[in-house]
Amino acid sequence: MARHSGRGFATIEYPTGMNQNGDPSQAWIKLKPDGRVDVFAGTVDIGQGSKTVHTQIVADTLGVPYDWVTMDNSNSDSSGVCTGTFASRGTFIGGNAVRFAAERVRERILDIASKELEIDAGDLEIADGEVVAKGAPDRRISVADVAGAATYNYGELISGQGTALKPFAEVSDEDGSVQVEPHSAVSYAACVADVEVDDETGEVTVTRLVQVYDVGRAINPTLVEGQIEGGAMMGLGLALLEQAYPHYPSAEHRGAEFGTYLAPALEDLPELDNVILENPSTDGPFGAKAIGEMANNAQPAAIAAAIHDAVGAWVTEYPATPERVLRAIQAKAEPRREGKRVIFDEEISLSAVSSNGGAGFLEV
Amino acid sequence: MKAVGARLPRYDGVAHVTARSVYVDDVRVPGTLVAKALRSPHHHAAIKRIDTARAKRLSGVRGVVTHEDVPNNVYGHLEALGIPADEPLLAENDVRYRGQPIAAVAAEDSDTALEALDAIEIEYEERPALFDMRNALDPDAPRMHHWGGVYPHFGPHNHRRVRKGDVEWAFDQADVIVEGVYRPQAIEHCPLETQVALVVPEAGGRLTIYSCTQAMYFSLGVVAAHLEVPLNRLKFVGGTVGGGFGGKVDTASETIAALLALKSRRPVKWRWTREEEFLASSTRAPWHIEIADAVTSDGWVLGRRTVTLHDSGAYARFSPYGVTKHAFHHTGAYTIPNLRFDGFVVFTNRVPTTAMRGFGVTSVSMAVELHMTRIAEVLGISPWELRLKNANRIGDTTANRVAMQDPSTVPVTLAAAERVGEKLGPEYAAMTADRRSGDLLPEHLVAQQAPEGAHVLGNGGGS
Repeated sequence: MARHSGRGFATIEYPTGMNQNGDPSQAWIKLKPDGRVDVFAGTVDIGQGSKTVHTQIVADTLGVPYDWVTMDNSNSDSSGVCTGTFASRGTFIGGNAVRFAAERVRERILDIASKELEIDAGDLEIADGEVVAKGAPDRRISVADVAGAATYNYGELISGQGTALKPFAEVSDEDGSVQVEPHSAVSYAACVADVEVDDETGEVTVTRLVQVYDVGRAINPTLVEGQIEGGAMMGLGLALLEQAYPHYPSAEHRGAEFGTYLAPALEDLPELDNVILENPSTDGPFGAKAIGEMANNAQPAAIAAAIHDAVGAWVTEYPATPERVLRAIQAKAEPRREGKRVIFDEEISLSAVSSNGGAGFLEV
Repeated sequence: MKAVGARLPRYDGVAHVTARSVYVDDVRVPGTLVAKALRSPHHHAAIKRIDTARAKRLSGVRGVVTHEDVPNNVYGHLEALGIPADEPLLAENDVRYRGQPIAAVAAEDSDTALEALDAIEIEYEERPALFDMRNALDPDAPRMHHWGGVYPHFGPHNHRRVRKGDVEWAFDQADVIVEGVYRPQAIEHCPLETQVALVVPEAGGRLTIYSCTQAMYFSLGVVAAHLEVPLNRLKFVGGTVGGGFGGKVDTASETIAALLALKSRRPVKWRWTREEEFLASSTRAPWHIEIADAVTSDGWVLGRRTVTLHDSGAYARFSPYGVTKHAFHHTGAYTIPNLRFDGFVVFTNRVPTTAMRGFGVTSVSMAVELHMTRIAEVLGISPWELRLKNANRIGDTTANRVAMQDPSTVPVTLAAAERVGEKLGPEYAAMTADRRSGDLLPEHLVAQQAPEGAHVLGNGGGS
């Protein structure tokens, strides 16, 4: 028995927003008479932290303290349309919806402050909950007083709405081309995996993952790191542990409880080294792109490459269970060479398994 | 103080860790009935008869529903995108996967509900089932979907296709053709909170639907379409979810609970058991990806042929969307000018697969990245340098001919190399994401480049 160490890596990209667009998010915002901010948006928080991120975006767009802002995403009566929490769209598209709404509210605040201060709105700015004349910081009025004046003097509910929507991109059924960008932004990542492979048991231990993510702008670095680390664990499950059908393609003998379905747990946690790059997007809120989904995409291929580096065997059917690793080590299959073709994995291919050589899929 | 960029604590973090967040199952409404579903024990069978009479007569049973009770039983989640409907909410003429719901009951308590399920009589005629998608178009394959072995509605084709550049030329020119097969598996979403809905009929005739959906307005639309009611008849309450990962986009529990609430005129809660969550809820799809790359001995990837099979399970759900997204991204973080891609949505007798973190693209990363490592191994060159050479650059175009504005293949790869102390050749270490020129703009990459400032490639990219 020996343990062999190996290293592999992968570089990936992932789009933001529903493929082909057409997925609106809407938000609206109102001010209470003391300037506190109520945000209504339909973005569901499944743990990714959209409530936090949207609150941060609204606070800075308005120029008020973070703790002035309340997020309500609780029901479909009070909030507008949000197509959903999927397609890594919450920060970019949902975030733009609340940003656009906040920009309109900001305009109303400045307009009323302008009347109160008798200064042109263009010469005012908002910071830390105060509307201040540019270059004359003693000429000021608090956002609280502006909201009070709006409510009791001007008879106005300060409010604003925003919709983020990129038009639907038709795709050609003949060649797959589109005429407009079918996404909002594209994020990139690279992952280096260090593993140890036991050549007697086939067990693979991931000892370290170095992960680099370009997220455009990290609105909340702690939450970005949470996505990176949570995603790493899911990627580790995809690479080594998880299979809904343990005898795939058979549908029998499925695990029906946590005790018989092997998902990664804390004992599987490798050393994690996270690097966040900020290459800002042009259209996202404060330059943000996305992090959510891509966070489990890079590890599996990096780990599979590291297994090859360690023991010289290719495992291309995921997950790389001890059985698959041992079989691959024993087979040490060399690719078949035919002319300039180098053919791997022939025994699991369509042409080998289908009764007519996979004609229905290959001859189209 | 600026909020953006600050490490502010999670908005609802204290509520989550002190158990004060309200999830669907925490909501208590007096008089709430318990719902249970009768699910197919067979992978594939014709339904010859459904008889619920005895169940309805049981003491404590307040509602029983089958396909006959659904105003619009067959509704497609993506009809708005032109993807037609194929899946009944409650099975009618046949069942196509083990666990498919056929009937549901609402009763005063769980034992009574389970007793009612036992009292429903269903006569099945078992049929052969298909599990290996590689056999789906074999002449002797079991026929299990009325559309055939694969989803047939990509315009005139039964697959999503990409055609770009001149693939024949690329494979003629290549020094080496590297071929491989990659098979990501189905996996479970594994949320701690199982699928759950509580539906309360209000005095004015509205239904309040407490939902674990990841997509409140999307699910609102799905329930309204099945019930054939305007959107103001329904109020969704949600926004806080106990784990989704893509598995709670399917609107799995809300509609049937709503039907039972309408039938019984009582609040109804349907909380799936852990066993149902594992065996009857959707999974991430298994994929079968065959890649052949035409490469030069110095590491240019001239062209790629890809055949992808996506295991959709018994119905289409979001799979055509997922395969289209897969097609758009099938070159990964690299620019390959000559492409032929055929992607199939394949029907099998397993639980319909659905979205999961990275939908359509996780499979690309798992396949393409391992394939790139193999190409480097076959050619005997650095896997880092192979990737940097073929990396996406500003002005390069994607598989669907979109001009890249700010690709970061090079910056993230270089940052990773630096972090682990990987020594790169000086011409690679100095690379940027800027437009190609000089040695990095060989003849075969000229036609694929978009003009400066353009958003898509015109006809110059071949056909």
